[in-house]
Amino acid sequence: MTRLICPFCGPRELREFEFHKTLPAAPGSAFSRTYERVDRHEHSVEHWQHVEGCRGWLLVHRNPTTGEVLETRLLGGAAAGGAP
Amino acid sequence: MFVWLGVALYNNNTRAYSACALLRARLSGSGYWRPLWSGRKLKDAYDVVVVGAGGHGLATAFHLARDHGLKRVAVLEKRLVGYGNVGRNTTIVRSNYLLPENHYFYEDSLRRYETLSKDLNYNVMYSPRGVVDLALSDDDFAGLARRGNAMLLAGIDVELMDVAALEHYCPELEPRRRRRFPILGALVQRRGGTVRHDAVAWGYARAATAHGVDIIEDCEVTGVRTNGGGATGVETNRGYVQAERIVFATAGHTGMIGTMLGVPLPIETHLLQAMVSEPVKPLLHTVLVYVSPGHGEVYISQSDRGGLVMGGHLDGFPSYTREGRWDRLEDVVQGAVELLPRIGAIKILRQWAGTNDMTMDGSPIIDRLRYDNVFLNAGWCYGGFKTIPASGAACATLVATGSAPDLIKAFRLSRFATGHLLDERGAGPFPVRQ
Repeated sequence: MTRLICPFCGPRELREFEFHKTLPAAPGSAFSRTYERVDRHEHSVEHWQHVEGCRGWLLVHRNPTTGEVLETRLLGGAAAGGAP
Repeated sequence: MFVWLGVALYNNNTRAYSACALLRARLSGSGYWRPLWSGRKLKDAYDVVVVGAGGHGLATAFHLARDHGLKRVAVLEKRLVGYGNVGRNTTIVRSNYLLPENHYFYEDSLRRYETLSKDLNYNVMYSPRGVVDLALSDDDFAGLARRGNAMLLAGIDVELMDVAALEHYCPELEPRRRRRFPILGALVQRRGGTVRHDAVAWGYARAATAHGVDIIEDCEVTGVRTNGGGATGVETNRGYVQAERIVFATAGHTGMIGTMLGVPLPIETHLLQAMVSEPVKPLLHTVLVYVSPGHGEVYISQSDRGGLVMGGHLDGFPSYTREGRWDRLEDVVQGAVELLPRIGAIKILRQWAGTNDMTMDGSPIIDRLRYDNVFLNAGWCYGGFKTIPASGAACATLVATGSAPDLIKAFRLSRFATGHLLDERGAGPFPVRQ
């Protein structure tokens, strides 16, 4: 995993992006959202931000075991595609 | 003649190391030395099954067998002894922590490291070469002074050095050299230093085997069998193993244990990288730790073989790949060369990564997990290697007696719900910032 595709800026180096958090699979209490993590080896859904670019917030689907990026989309927006 | 006829057996055919043993081995010819831990058969039932033959699992098994007299203890390992983080860290040991719950615990560990070679009858190459935390800004210096004072109040020796003292202690650093970010001082713990990491794994494995522990490699635990009130054993790729008590010490794979038992844990798995340069003649006699304003955290030491061992901050997102990201390696190297320009021409030889079990407050968890007879030894973040001896002893006491010793009372799992967090950096519930 060396690049992410930003829906605005296109494929960019990973260092331009910042990981924010992993999203829970089901809505839970505030405590559960803050402190508890369910291990997802195959498919993890995360919030990232393109901090050194357009500063847009991204919804990234990844496989943390292989490092493959499955899908990147703007939060609430259109998909940009899979791995670069 | 009598020397080798009276061959002294340490327990279970493990030969004790000594000058006499060397002589005996020389006179007996080949076949004197035995395998250190391999060759044990998996039995059907155990008093305690420890999952994970890394530093913490092996140390726990060793103390269960030696201190608490448990005769039927097994360590089940998916891969090989010492395949995980115990063989992937940068070998630094220190106890310079701010919070009392942490520094008493890490100090206990450092004191155990000082005598570990003797305790295990195995040379772990403890080298008290000093850990130097450098201040490159006024804020750094104030932070280090605060940490140092907290340690002095707890009776742990540490020195806050100005540039003059530092120049005397570590002249190769050239503290007065003109730099973009000049060195303002340092917090120095002289007893801190390095320990040969593989030797810790091998030493504990050998000593545990000598006390009757079965270490089974290539044995993956795939599930836990329960009867409602507690666990009765573990399912493995070699069949079912009955266990009265189960200890999980699986570091980066702790999340899977949570899934196995149906408990979401306050742990994310992140990668931490390390790298080593080609071997060179001695040029650094201590361990340097600092935060480079431009490139983030860096720590450097020189191994006995001569390679510069370097590491930095986490990769920054959850991953199990064990492949570090390229730009983090770049950050660490740039930060190192910025401080020590003379190492700029040295080549990096190898780079690797380990999977760290990062908790939400950056401190570990040693507690029961869901059932009364299931225990978790996890959440070691970056502190795993330096805590192995203390963690093993304390965890063994918890498992054997059922009550946690004072040293680890604060490391309970419920602290996240009750708000008694041990957030050393004051970073909030974000593992990536710990």
